[in-house]
Amino acid sequence: MLGIGEKFPSFSVTATVSIEKDPKKAFKTITDKEYARKWKVYFFWPKDFTFVCPTEIAGFGKMNKQFQERDAQILGGSTDSEWVHHAWRTHHPDLKDLPFPMLADVKHDLCGQLGIIDPQGGVAQRATFIVDPDGVIRFVYVTDGSVGRSPEEVLRVLDALQSDELCPCNWHKGEPTLKIA
Amino acid sequence: MLLADLLETVPAYGRDLKLNFSTLTQQTELTKQQLWGTVVASAIASRNYGFTQAILGEAANHLSVEAMEAAKGAAAIMGMNNVYYRFQHLASNEKYRTLPARLRMNIIRSHGVDQLDFELWCVAVSAINGCAACVDSHEKVVREKGLSEEAILAAVRLAAVVHGLAAVFDAEGVRATQPASA
Repeated sequence: MLGIGEKFPSFSVTATVSIEKDPKKAFKTITDKEYARKWKVYFFWPKDFTFVCPTEIAGFGKMNKQFQERDAQILGGSTDSEWVHHAWRTHHPDLKDLPFPMLADVKHDLCGQLGIIDPQGGVAQRATFIVDPDGVIRFVYVTDGSVGRSPEEVLRVLDALQSDELCPCNWHKGEPTLKIA
Repeated sequence: MLLADLLETVPAYGRDLKLNFSTLTQQTELTKQQLWGTVVASAIASRNYGFTQAILGEAANHLSVEAMEAAKGAAAIMGMNNVYYRFQHLASNEKYRTLPARLRMNIIRSHGVDQLDFELWCVAVSAINGCAACVDSHEKVVREKGLSEEAILAAVRLAAVVHGLAAVFDAEGVRATQPASA
């Protein structure tokens, strides 16, 4: 599995962005270059239409504004196709208005590069990655089986990653002077 | 109210300040952006609403939209940092300086204008808010970036006078009046 400090992989997948019936509006190709200057929160789940996932996904959805305020784009994903994502979003009441895309990693290419394909099940593990605007992985969070993850915890970590002491006020006597960019 | 009109209302006891302000806003030691950004940030730090609104109205004639936002941002973020780091400086328990601040302050990098100007505005606000650690560290940064002591003092003079004027307007009961600019 890729870890902290490594570059998030290059990828290009179809994503489901809405429940519009017109495929031209519902689907979009998304690559790693999208959302270039933002932080990204990629979170994967094993299978659409199962039980733990909608709660977490809807949980991220409810917090989308708080992520956006921190210049972070949420991107969900699984190895299901964009049509499966579309059907799930259309029929599950908690997913109808989901404000972020669902990546369809049908070829298992992105999840494979990330190293999160479950050896037993062959689908994605429940993994979350926070990626900074330079494309570097800054947080990896994986849970087993049916243990859902906490979007609040992901937000907490994102906040902590962004809370750099950028002010020279914290220069301590005796330390070399800060070199400000 | 237009700044010029508001300044006309300064009573006799505040005349020194009014004249200082007039002289200082015509000086050439600082660039227009440095000068008016300092005035904006200092006004916000000095906490008189009517005066601040008048200053913002006048400064809009001299600052780009980005610079105005950045100057306001400097006053805002230093409003926070001046308390936090002054506490660290005042507390004899040095442990506080080693504990993580956990405070977001991304605007110090993301404001979009010259870092030198932004740091100069931080010096001005820190001088008003009285944080010794902040004054010292930001002053060093600004000099490292090539600003002279004379220019820094020009900014501090502006901060001082703006602060004094704000006190006058408080005394005279200046609150929110008409919209600041025409």
